[in-house]
Amino acid sequence: MSPMTKQAMERILENSVSRRSFLSRLLATGALAGLPCGLLRPGTAEAGQVWEGGYQTFRNACPRNCYDTCSIISYVKDGVVKFVEGAPESSFTRGGLCVKGNSYVRRVYSPDRIKYPMEQQGRGSGNWKRLSWDQAMDKIARKILDIKERDGSLLGLALTKYSGNFGITNYGVEGMMSSLGYTTRMVGTPCWPAGIDAQNFDMGSMWCNDPEDLPQARYVIVWGANPAWCSVHSMKFLYAAQEAGAKMVVVDPVFTQTAAKADEYVEIRAGEDCALALGLCRHILDRGLYDREWVTAHSVGFDDFAAYLRDNVTVEWAAGKSGVPIAQIKALAEEFAQARPATIWIGYGMQRHVNGGAAVRVLDALVAMTGNVGKPGGGARYGHLQTWGFNYHAMLQKPPEGSKGWLGASGPKGEFDVSGGAGNAKYADRALNINKTAQEILDAKDPPIRMLWVACKNVLSQDFDRPKMLKAFDKLEMVVAVDQFFNQTVEQADIVLPVTTLFEDWTVNASYWHYWLSLNEQAIKPLHEAKSDIQIAAALSRRMNELAPGSCTFATEIDSKDWMAREFNKDIYDLFGLSSWEDLRKGPAKAKLASSASWADGKFATPSKKYEFRSDLCAKNGHDALPMYKEGRAPYDKLRLLTPHHKFAIHSQFQNLDWMADFNPAPFVYIHPRAAAQRGIADGDMVRVFNKVGEVRLAARLTSDVPPDTLLMYETWYKGLAFNCQNLVDDTSADMGAYKTGAPGVAIHDQFADVARA
Amino acid sequence: MKKQLGFYVDAKRCIGCFTCAMACKNQYQQEPGVIWRQVYPLKEEIYPHHERAFYSLACNHCEHPACLEVCPVDAYSKRPQDGIVVHHQEQCIGCGNCIRSCPYGAPRFNPVQKRAEKCSLCWQRLDAGLDPACVASCPTNALTLIDLATFADPGAVQFPPGFPKMGRLNPSTRFRQAELPKIIKREDVS
Repeated sequence: MSPMTKQAMERILENSVSRRSFLSRLLATGALAGLPCGLLRPGTAEAGQVWEGGYQTFRNACPRNCYDTCSIISYVKDGVVKFVEGAPESSFTRGGLCVKGNSYVRRVYSPDRIKYPMEQQGRGSGNWKRLSWDQAMDKIARKILDIKERDGSLLGLALTKYSGNFGITNYGVEGMMSSLGYTTRMVGTPCWPAGIDAQNFDMGSMWCNDPEDLPQARYVIVWGANPAWCSVHSMKFLYAAQEAGAKMVVVDPVFTQTAAKADEYVEIRAGEDCALALGLCRHILDRGLYDREWVTAHSVGFDDFAAYLRDNVTVEWAAGKSGVPIAQIKALAEEFAQARPATIWIGYGMQRHVNGGAAVRVLDALVAMTGNVGKPGGGARYGHLQTWGFNYHAMLQKPPEGSKGWLGASGPKGEFDVSGGAGNAKYADRALNINKTAQEILDAKDPPIRMLWVACKNVLSQDFDRPKMLKAFDKLEMVVAVDQFFNQTVEQADIVLPVTTLFEDWTVNASYWHYWLSLNEQAIKPLHEAKSDIQIAAALSRRMNELAPGSCTFATEIDSKDWMAREFNKDIYDLFGLSSWEDLRKGPAKAKLASSASWADGKFATPSKKYEFRSDLCAKNGHDALPMYKEGRAPYDKLRLLTPHHKFAIHSQFQNLDWMADFNPAPFVYIHPRAAAQRGIADGDMVRVFNKVGEVRLAARLTSDVPPDTLLMYETWYKGLAFNCQNLVDDTSADMGAYKTGAPGVAIHDQFADVARA
Repeated sequence: MKKQLGFYVDAKRCIGCFTCAMACKNQYQQEPGVIWRQVYPLKEEIYPHHERAFYSLACNHCEHPACLEVCPVDAYSKRPQDGIVVHHQEQCIGCGNCIRSCPYGAPRFNPVQKRAEKCSLCWQRLDAGLDPACVASCPTNALTLIDLATFADPGAVQFPPGFPKMGRLNPSTRFRQAELPKIIKREDVS
């Protein structure tokens, strides 16, 4: 332990920037003069506080697009958030947060926060000049009007926005675009679209059991998910299942932290989930262990699926494809089929492949044929949108009279699109694939993309093929980024607008995994000059209408609390047993579920109203009608490259904080000792990881946690480091996603690379 | 036996998520670089996988604390009612004796105060009827508060592999060791 202590000490001695010294510098330079008084009090926001009681408390919710979407209580004194805790009312989080949630106070008061609107003199130069909000809005509004005059429409203005802030009122960003006219939208989702389509084809919707019923499961397969890092509050339910006698099996290409907690870990060749799952189905069929009664009563097409299995699948073939030994496939199949209820947690990682949607369909089939769909403790658990029936008041805005737009068909603009497309309107927005943002910007013509608005997203840390994205940015006349930190996208922006943290404005948050709903109250006044996304939209609308009356329909004055309240409706109140949103001030509420199981009544939302092993809808969308094997992507380099999520970050958020760097200061690429030895790489060596997309330099860690044919690095943004795994990830599409989200997913884990000493 | 509070570190349940360590920073708003609770991965000789088993450690609130013994200005005291070792920072002169003497690395140097500091076992929270911040935050119930006077888990150990064996200090932390799953490796590459 002593070397570690020494390292920690060295870090301590190197790091001399504290919040207190930052604040005192602010005072010295007069930077505090522009702030509303009483917001920042160095005397109370200081380090070294102890618990002293007497706090004012507020309800908050973590808006970071995470399984757990924790309900937070913020403890405030003198207008300063002193610390945060999880809300004890939630039986899902039971008063807990994660490592990221516990760093929130540091995030709010980080010396690195963007404090006011700024303009960069030359992208990437770091030569930022402060602007007033009026100046920033004027520059942006004039540019928008200039585009409209040149093109006759606003299709040259593009929005890329996803889930960096997942509050319901944050959909006001989309609303702001609609209120300006018909624009170009980056549509789809990089996250989970292939699996969404798959579950829609099989069952008519994506709808998972309540995760709090996991303890009822007698057998759990966690397949391509790592809840020990990405859903820490689910782990206690998995443990409870184990303690009640259930077996937990983890199927993953990597020995994850979740695998270490399982009863059995099955290492699978990445991208061959389809093959292993089909092998399991075939063996269950052969042994007659499928649920004949359920299949007969509740499904269509099972005989066709059985015929496909008999004609095309053998356990031996599945073993050859997946690397999992024959005996283990047989044992796993028999155990799973004979345990009731049995469930599979289908991870998002396993569908980020060119055959990811196909694989989810086979896993659904495995759960269905064993009679585990619709059962508490069972289910093919992927996600749900059951608790997202808000009004989307902020999102649904009308274009100004006379706006011109895209002529032609318009599909959904992502998984949360409730607008129902263009309807009878003559014009629509131009929809481009969010997962090919770089290529779409390069290819867009008539008109080209002239201006990009980036909100709730970090394009240059998260979108694919970063070298191509930099080229695409060269085509843009103006980039506006709305953010909290000078991240890798802000580096390439012309104007940056400071946005509030969750503690600084109102919204409401739901989860796509558990069934809790959380209010997010304003706990403190916005720091510095930060505004929330809807307040930014209102500010822009004010300037647009001053320069060209009628050019923007967005409200020019907004009460954020009122706009939060307008997202509620009777259905939401009934679902959660609320008389008013005010009830949520007492704590988060859980949906009143008829059963913890999805599809408990056996009525599916498919065309046949049954579970569809054979889906004509799936065939109509260009895929196989049956859950069938689909080839993986052919390797384009020597080793497979995986770039999953880290425990210290969610995408590019949190790792940049100095508190997080205390625990995780630098990235590594993880290499199997055999692959390392072949290349003369020792533990700790600096290496180059390279492929046709680009190159990354970082230190190597040797570990058998990864197989010999695989490299692994985590997708994260480290403050001050050039590290960026998107220099190695191309924008090849996954098979599914276009049906429900407007664009196919992306094959993040079908990437390949080689490594050498640097 | 007199009441002696301590931490129970259940490495079988621990997922190494660092929530406890960050919850400590959250409660005390420590200077960047100051760590009262650290999550230490076990070396692969002890658990044969890189960073997959951990001990979450802070001050062990020893029966015979080295920090207290070596402090020249009596900046440390041991609470008679529960055995918590308290550091009184206002008395500390920053000599570093405690930092050098604690074999568990519990006292840390605060570069701004130029004094030592360490885990207080959240005695202010305890006195108000609350759990320590780290314990309250643990998502898997892997870190709990125990009283050695009543703690009677026959499976618990005081000096598991990797934890320095300092019997004379008699640290108050107890452990359960991590377990391994059955592992089925790919045939095509093994």
